[in-house]
Amino acid sequence: MNVCITRVVIHLIKIIVNDQFMNNSSINKIPLIFFLMLLFTWTASSQNISGNVFEKSGSGKQGALTGVNVYWAGTTTGTVTDENGKFRLARVQGGNSKLVVSLLGYRRDTIQVLKDKSKLNIEMFPGDRQLSEVEIKARQDNSFVSKMKTQATTVINIGELQRAACCNLAESFETNASVDVSYSDAVSGARQIQLLGLSGIYSQIMAENVPLIRGLATPYGLNYVPGPWMESIQVAKGTSSVVQGYESITGQINVEYKKPENAEKLYLNVYGNSNLRFEANASSAIKITDKLSTSLLVHADDFRYKFDRNGDGFMDLPKLTNINLFNRWDFINPGKWVSRLGVKYLYEDRNGGQMDFDKSSWNTDTTGITNDTKKYGIGIRTNRFEAFWKNGVFFKGSAQSSLGLILSFINHQQDAFYGINLYHGHEQNFNANLIYTAQFDGEKHKISAGASGFTDNYSENYVQTRLAYRYQYLPDTVTPTYADKFTLVNDSVYTYVMDRREWAAGGFFEYTFNLKDKFTLIAGARGDYNNRWGFLFTPRLHLRVTLAKGLALRGSVGKGYRSPNLLAENSPMLISQRVLNFAPGLTNEEAWNFGLSLTWDFNLFSRKAEFTVDGYRTSFVKQTVVDQDSLPTAVFFYNLNGQSYANVVQAQFSFQPLKQFTVLAAFRYNDVKVTEGNRLVQKALVNQYKALLTLSYATRFDKWKFDLTGQLNGPSRIPDTRKMPAVLQLPEKSPVWFNLLAQITKKFRNFEIYVGGENLLNVRQDNPIVEYFKPYHTHFDASMAWGPVVGITGYAGIRLTIK
Amino acid sequence: MKTKNVILGSMVLFALMLVSAAAFSQDKKEATIKIKTSAVCDMCKDRIEQGMAYEKGVKNIVLDVDTKIVTITYNPSKTTPDELRKAISKLGYDADNVLADKAAYNKLPACCKKDAAPKKK
Repeated sequence: MNVCITRVVIHLIKIIVNDQFMNNSSINKIPLIFFLMLLFTWTASSQNISGNVFEKSGSGKQGALTGVNVYWAGTTTGTVTDENGKFRLARVQGGNSKLVVSLLGYRRDTIQVLKDKSKLNIEMFPGDRQLSEVEIKARQDNSFVSKMKTQATTVINIGELQRAACCNLAESFETNASVDVSYSDAVSGARQIQLLGLSGIYSQIMAENVPLIRGLATPYGLNYVPGPWMESIQVAKGTSSVVQGYESITGQINVEYKKPENAEKLYLNVYGNSNLRFEANASSAIKITDKLSTSLLVHADDFRYKFDRNGDGFMDLPKLTNINLFNRWDFINPGKWVSRLGVKYLYEDRNGGQMDFDKSSWNTDTTGITNDTKKYGIGIRTNRFEAFWKNGVFFKGSAQSSLGLILSFINHQQDAFYGINLYHGHEQNFNANLIYTAQFDGEKHKISAGASGFTDNYSENYVQTRLAYRYQYLPDTVTPTYADKFTLVNDSVYTYVMDRREWAAGGFFEYTFNLKDKFTLIAGARGDYNNRWGFLFTPRLHLRVTLAKGLALRGSVGKGYRSPNLLAENSPMLISQRVLNFAPGLTNEEAWNFGLSLTWDFNLFSRKAEFTVDGYRTSFVKQTVVDQDSLPTAVFFYNLNGQSYANVVQAQFSFQPLKQFTVLAAFRYNDVKVTEGNRLVQKALVNQYKALLTLSYATRFDKWKFDLTGQLNGPSRIPDTRKMPAVLQLPEKSPVWFNLLAQITKKFRNFEIYVGGENLLNVRQDNPIVEYFKPYHTHFDASMAWGPVVGITGYAGIRLTIK
Repeated sequence: MKTKNVILGSMVLFALMLVSAAAFSQDKKEATIKIKTSAVCDMCKDRIEQGMAYEKGVKNIVLDVDTKIVTITYNPSKTTPDELRKAISKLGYDADNVLADKAAYNKLPACCKKDAAPKKK
């Protein structure tokens, strides 16, 4: 009946509008409009539902819940309960009858509202919001582009993480179009990521909003987070929020660990692959009281098998022993106080190099170099301790305000040798962040304000023995003999001391304006004082506009700063005989990031489909240029003098032709250039384009899952080797190569087994190491890796869960 | 080119995997039964469906939370309606005239218990 009345009113309005307005008559239009609006509101009001949301205490007493989000499922139409727990909400045309109630600290619930119902009494039960999200949704997408977040964010869920071997964070991006993963060199097995055409050092990698991979952890840090510890990964491209500091330039990657309050009682995972690498993960969660829970996560990785399939005399992968422990305590008092405390310990020992390198007889002597009896090896031993304590206090009232305090501490010790060169690094980092958030007028206005600071103490040094051969002392007119070339005549030891102490403290303010989720604006700024670089001002702006149903446009612009850690970030250069040359007066790095993205959700053949296109430009104001091109026997580090930018355009299409079958196709084009010396050149080892296609099929109840991923990697520029002897020179560009991965998972009631393969096309980079036959000679260099060193690998594993 | 052949081959392999999985799940006999449960909220839908999915002989299971009736498609040579009711009871829910197993019922989350606030209609 209400629908009839509305139709009549609309018809009436049309007649009146056509009559009066179109004829431009002088009848006073205002009272007429007012009357029509009244009429309309009257008819609309009987299309409202109202009610109250409450909770029952232990004694059965009813208490009103304020600030509860009440909205129609799958829409952005909603409201918030007032101080008495009451709400009023208009029905949405189209018959949507599922109402969702959500409040932090309570279980989200979905209520079926019948057509003639206009008043509801809703009871909510305590529990973590994340818990109900996992339990209630029947089938959640493995990886989805967040619709509501203002910053372009992709969330990788546990389902997506389990589609591939995903032994650790480095390997979790194989099915993601935005993040590239590659080996940074051909010897150490270290992985690096690239986001928006720039190295992972320019993104802020955090775990539960606590800084994770930065400083000395940069080269191998991605290996420090085991796959089974993660619940989800959020990848946000472009400039991020000022709340987390000024360090993000290209984006933010935030890892959420499994929380003890909703983790399995016992989880076991055993993995093995055809290279004879074995991994074991075990985690156990205990609920001590209904508010306090704890969990212990353990990871062990053992790889002792040496192999050399490309015949260059070097181990294709280093031997690795890794033990990782994580203990956390979580206290949740729903709606009042959440406290999370965690401690982590990691020990890792990597040993690589030539097949016949014997670590027990290693020394920094130069005897044996000339007659080839001295073998080349690398060894990296890491001891890392982390602790974090996060507290959030929630205040009652319509402002839904909260105060959070995040404290973290990292102690990282790394001792390594690369050939006869020695590296020592010790970092102590302490980070504190105090954040106050509040919202007004429903969710229309939100503010975030606070202060944060950190101290970073580094004790770092590198002792390099520079080797000189007889041919280097001969005049150019003389042609050197074999003996001239390879006889060692001199060596000199250089010690690079990079001790430094850095601290910064600052305040930030961020304002969010949300107009019924049709338009969202986030404007933030922070000011920090840094003891090394002075005052740093960081403005950041995000916009999100809903252009039409399912069509969202996002834009962002912001600044970021970072302090370079030249030895840790360029550790591949240490696996060479290149002389390190640091220009004096190196500054910090500063860049602007601009981004624009369009997301379109539509129905294709009445199935869900989504198309996203985005473009980002990162432009450096200050940068430390790492120049490998000027001389193949040196690396020059100097301040940028000229342009340095990264332009990236990406298009992504995902489609579900069947409920259980998902297809994702993406293409990305990179244009990354940097000014070296006085020439603007393409940045080395960044591929020009990349295409990705993933197919994922699951049978009913996910009993069988089939996953197939194909990556096409475009050519990238290889560092300049034209000044090397002709026989050692590498081509200018790397070839186009395909990476194919597949996995089959079979799920049983309490466990699941998975079998898969990586690099199924057995693509390998020919000669990834320059001058591999003489690793102590002038041109030895393992840092120019553009593709896999290891060919096809098969793996299998089992995951056991006891809830 | 060799690469193209391998890609084609893996596509065919993948298609084969899909077909065999589909064939695998096909079976000759099929019967359907409707059982009334004591399911209360949306969370129970997942618990019952996921819990019954691995019971021997169960092909498909759908719970309608409003009517509390679960519709199970099963292979009559592998299981019987009585065994299905027993399995639901072991998950902590009533099944027609079979009462929920006490131990399993106690493990249910608050909103799923029979005397919890009923779903508002």
